[in-house]
Amino acid sequence: MLDLQPQYAVAHHYDELYLPDGKPRPHYEALAKTLARLGREEILARVQDVDTALLQRGVTFTVYADSEGTERVFPFDIIPRILTAEEWSRIERGIQQRVRAINAFIYDVYHSERILREKRVPRELVYSSKNYNREMINVDVTHDVYIHVSGTDLIRDDNGTFMVLEDNCRTPSGISYVLENRDVLKRSFPDLFDDYAVCPVDDYPGRLLDVLRYVAPRGSVQPNIVLLTPGIYNSAYFEHTLLARRMGIELVEGRDLIVVDNVVFLKTTRGLSRVDVIYRRIDDDYLDPLYFKSDSALGVTGLMNAYRAGNVTIANAIGTGVGDDKAVYQFVPEMIRFYLDEEPLLDNVPTFDCTNDAQRQHVLANLDSLVVKNTNASGGYGMLMGPYATVEERERFKDLIAANPRDFIAQPVIQLSSSPTLVEGGMEGRRVDLRPFALYGRGVDVPAAALTRVALREGSLVVNSSQGGGSKDTWVLQ
Amino acid sequence: MLSRVADSLFWLGRNVERAETIARILDVNYTRAMDLYSQRDGRSEKLWRSVMYCAGFVSEAELPANGKAANEVFGFCAFDTENPTSIVSAVRIARTNALGVRAELTTEVWELINVLYLYVEEQKLRSVMREGPSKFLRRVRDRAQAFAGVSDATMSHGDGWNFIQVGRYLERAYMTARILDAIDVANEPWHESQRMLEMCCASAPFAHASDHAPGARDATAFVVLSETFPRSLRFCTREIDEALHRLSRSPQGTFAIEAERRVGRLRSQLDFGSIEEMLVDGVSTFSRELVREYELLTRDIEASYFPRLPVLA
Repeated sequence: MLDLQPQYAVAHHYDELYLPDGKPRPHYEALAKTLARLGREEILARVQDVDTALLQRGVTFTVYADSEGTERVFPFDIIPRILTAEEWSRIERGIQQRVRAINAFIYDVYHSERILREKRVPRELVYSSKNYNREMINVDVTHDVYIHVSGTDLIRDDNGTFMVLEDNCRTPSGISYVLENRDVLKRSFPDLFDDYAVCPVDDYPGRLLDVLRYVAPRGSVQPNIVLLTPGIYNSAYFEHTLLARRMGIELVEGRDLIVVDNVVFLKTTRGLSRVDVIYRRIDDDYLDPLYFKSDSALGVTGLMNAYRAGNVTIANAIGTGVGDDKAVYQFVPEMIRFYLDEEPLLDNVPTFDCTNDAQRQHVLANLDSLVVKNTNASGGYGMLMGPYATVEERERFKDLIAANPRDFIAQPVIQLSSSPTLVEGGMEGRRVDLRPFALYGRGVDVPAAALTRVALREGSLVVNSSQGGGSKDTWVLQ
Repeated sequence: MLSRVADSLFWLGRNVERAETIARILDVNYTRAMDLYSQRDGRSEKLWRSVMYCAGFVSEAELPANGKAANEVFGFCAFDTENPTSIVSAVRIARTNALGVRAELTTEVWELINVLYLYVEEQKLRSVMREGPSKFLRRVRDRAQAFAGVSDATMSHGDGWNFIQVGRYLERAYMTARILDAIDVANEPWHESQRMLEMCCASAPFAHASDHAPGARDATAFVVLSETFPRSLRFCTREIDEALHRLSRSPQGTFAIEAERRVGRLRSQLDFGSIEEMLVDGVSTFSRELVREYELLTRDIEASYFPRLPVLA
């Protein structure tokens, strides 16, 4: 029998399965019963099949720490994470609001700068963002949409309230795991679905394609849409292939494209073929060696000129990184009030701004209780988990912060909620976050296809795949 | 279709076919070396030397004495990652190409290649030889042959599939020509013809098609000219010709690109020539000319469809 009694104390933080009194939450009861009925042997045998299937399918990501870049299966925990319809509805509205506000902010900082002129966001903060892109000033993008695809990382506080940990407005990844996890779970554990009505996830590619069609340059009737990937060695390459296949669009590398007279073309066996929309999964810096990194072999020479001439739509737009800069993050609630005249539906995590003298002093004095993040890094790289760090690491970060305060923010350690997870010996609580994806076309669409990442190491609060994280199928109930 | 994608599909088709052929050649010869060729009159060494030659290793390498030869040849032809035509290399190249065009492949085709790759990467020379290499070689062959069936049955027969076809039949023709060159059966006892036929997977089809007392000339003629045997030079050349015309949409009997002209010339030679005039200077001279033609054909196809793309640093 699988041990269904929690090994984990539900004392301080929120648990997805158990109420503080040790009883399961109502929406988890049926799942807990099914798992108990299946029993340990059966579950472990099926888990083995799941792992083999994922490897054979090539559902892998690349770890860069190794010299060659090793392909690994992204660990998948078969116990789903369940969200009720009410919880999801709050998340959905909160994210719609947030994404609209950030999009308006990005439009504003590249046009009239109203929010800067009215001093609601400090001008220096925006101009000093590494991802603020001067080339985008007064460039108009189709329908004023900048962040066609975004992923918002949510965590629960001790009371179970969702808060925004960070925004991802550049090229967020993870949706392929959502699609594959569901598919694999349906095949290997059909019984789990018996007592639930779960929202499907597999319409995501179609909804993304709708957005990409909608934002094609005006005048293109049957837009030719491509997905631009850095290539097979990129950590998210599997995702690029999956999305291209499911949308039925061409998966291209920079070397497959050429710009002639400010128009982008594909190099095909029948000559050149015009491209209207590029869903790119390459960072701004690598897009066009003429404007950005001149040694980049991933991009397309002249792409920026074609873009500024309005001959091609790039999704996400160039320069959106100013919207998910970790130091700009603290002003998102202000953006919501400023552009939408609404109160934020989702709260931020309290954040210390290291460019502010008083706040920096506080951070430097309390490093052992704070999380420090690099404002431009992602994927769990370049961060300090104060309470778990060595003295040397903390000293190193002190120097780094003092030298470049704009590069760092600090936040209190948030415990994250725990979710039942299969580990050796049974089921234990492991910390999870939630990344819903938002698609911005005619409006902001938040498909019920969210990624739950889980920190598989006991006690760990870091869920990134590069740092020993895995994922779960996420059920949004109908 | 993207030129890069076409390029990858062509080499995917070629390398899967290459892995299959090498596996079959090794299997046939390993089995034969156990009895018929085991006498100590140099036959065994001759046999392994011809295998090395087929596999693309053309220098006159010294092969160790009987007992060790098989291990050496297997190490080189199956597992040597430095040898670009070994089974491991061919499967790696095929898989890398498949990965680069993953979005063009069906899930069935991709998984077949990926599972073959995962299997081959797991194998080690020592354990494969200990348990007898047939099991390993059989699995490689089965998977590689299944690739043809699964790609036919699940992919649209459009440009992408046609590039795989060109790659597959070009490699097949090329290897058949190499086998003919490696084992000149003209003045040899019948068992050499039999070995050549088996290496070409032609043993049973030939037996069905031939008279009661076939000679070496008949065996060679079958492998070169059979209209229906899918590994004969004539059959393969026809398939290449037709796939190229489907790609260029130019009518049969005409040419739009240099590759079509070359393959058209080859095809009419094989369709209308007689075996006597082809072999007038011996099997080796004839098959070497063909090997050269197939190499030039590859170059022509590359020039028309995959103009050199900038390489990633």
